[in-house]
Amino acid sequence: MSKITEVAELVEKGKAKLVGPAVQAALDEGCDPMDILNHGMIDTMTIVGDKFKNGEIFVPEMLVAARAMKKGVEVLKPHLASGSTGANGKVIIATVSGDLHDIGKNLVAMMIESAGFEVVDLGVDVSTDKVIEAYKENPDTKIICLSALLTTTMPAMKATVTALNESDFRSNIKVMVGGAPITQEFADEIGADGYSEDAASAASLAKRLVAA
Amino acid sequence: MLTPKQNMLEVIRGGNPDRIVNQYEAVQLLMHPFMFSSPLLQPGQENVVNAWGVTNTFPEGVPGAFPVHTPDKIVVKDIEDWKEYVHAPSLKFTQDQWDMVKATYDAVDGEQSFKAAFVAPGLFEQTHHLCEISNALMYYITNEDEMHDLIKYLTEWELELAEGICSNLHPDALFHHDDWGGLDSTFMSPAMFEDFFVEPYKQIYGYYHSHGVELVIHHSDSYAATLVPDMIEMGIDVWQGCMETNNIPELIKKYGGKISFMGGIENRAVDFENWTDENCEAVVRRVCEECGNKYFIPCIAQGGPGSVYPGVYMSLCNAIDKLNAEKYGIDAAQSTRLPWQIMF
Repeated sequence: MSKITEVAELVEKGKAKLVGPAVQAALDEGCDPMDILNHGMIDTMTIVGDKFKNGEIFVPEMLVAARAMKKGVEVLKPHLASGSTGANGKVIIATVSGDLHDIGKNLVAMMIESAGFEVVDLGVDVSTDKVIEAYKENPDTKIICLSALLTTTMPAMKATVTALNESDFRSNIKVMVGGAPITQEFADEIGADGYSEDAASAASLAKRLVAA
Repeated sequence: MLTPKQNMLEVIRGGNPDRIVNQYEAVQLLMHPFMFSSPLLQPGQENVVNAWGVTNTFPEGVPGAFPVHTPDKIVVKDIEDWKEYVHAPSLKFTQDQWDMVKATYDAVDGEQSFKAAFVAPGLFEQTHHLCEISNALMYYITNEDEMHDLIKYLTEWELELAEGICSNLHPDALFHHDDWGGLDSTFMSPAMFEDFFVEPYKQIYGYYHSHGVELVIHHSDSYAATLVPDMIEMGIDVWQGCMETNNIPELIKKYGGKISFMGGIENRAVDFENWTDENCEAVVRRVCEECGNKYFIPCIAQGGPGSVYPGVYMSLCNAIDKLNAEKYGIDAAQSTRLPWQIMF
């Protein structure tokens, strides 16, 4: 078994303690750090995302895989050119004002990060002002993702997206929305660029949006 | 005309109900002393620490309080040493405290409605309240032994609570919360769920059943269709909060007679800004048409009578009454049901 395949298997199984040594072993054997990142980790997380989407695995398996990848990246980072791990760009993510749910937002953040983005996670109950402030602090942001799990916080999502749509930096970013009560219809109605049903689809959508 | 309670039993037993059960009309949710010894948050209250050490916040305009899990507020700092951090609160109450609550049980006409002891959170919820949800879900894989031990500890506490409730309050129903999934998936695989939760819940629900509780109603407003065989094994009589994503007609066909389903009316379908009576009625009609009147009780999915937007719950009640008048010739004014309980 190649060292990169070994890394991939450990990431998929979520073996956080073993991934670091396996990445080091792959580096010692002369594997290209970018190959370890792309084929050992990012591709693996795409497989993990697909399995989650298909109901083959569940949230715990996805969480441990993402955590294992993070451990591997820590070992890999000094060997990569600056910015390689977030090569697809920067993403700001938040659960909207009044909403304290974070599991969906966390899963999306993990999957997007695992797909090669740099994620700025603003947490839960985040006001429109804080989202705009975060963009101003990170003007190289390509996507802003907003999550809402309650029907009562859908208006807060609408307010934040409206504010983003009226901002002078709107043409520089894409806006993605998601959460249990959110639909494609609602996303269209409030003027978001994208909606996805689950974390794995969110990562694919993010890649499509930045490639467009 | 059957009393609401008799009618609900006919629905659950697949007998001869004379009308559709109207949401929580036959289940009065009642408290126990522990609920008054751990702070019950009011909307707008922030960062209140409960008896387990969990910090909760209740933002205005949301259905309920929610644990706050900034790193400083997570109770279990190290799962391997969870015993250092988790300290079960006392369940020793004076007879006066039990008697005060018992008076609320005695005030309910038991011919009309079940007297249901309200217990929340459940075992799974308590693990993620204590650990933070992403941590807890990972610990089910990375720290299986510790999670089994933590759940055993929580189960023993729940059994002590059950003993106090049954011997002092004598409920004939239990309304027990534990959310096991999201909109279209369970939080964990059925195999993992079985490994951690079936035996503990068999003990808890078995205790209630053998101490005077006729109906165990379990609330999980989620997808959980794949867990229904486990629910039956645990001793759940009614799954409340069953969302449409579960394909309720299929569940009724497959499991009716072993368990009943209470729900079908998801908050997201009716309970939103600018809600209307027309939409509430349309949803009620569609759900009742699809699910029939055996082993099914149409009900808002949330875990207690009420709605996030005031008026929605009563609008649904009125729509079901209207349907009962049309389909069964039942005049709601003749019903002996108790005044509507609205908790949320």
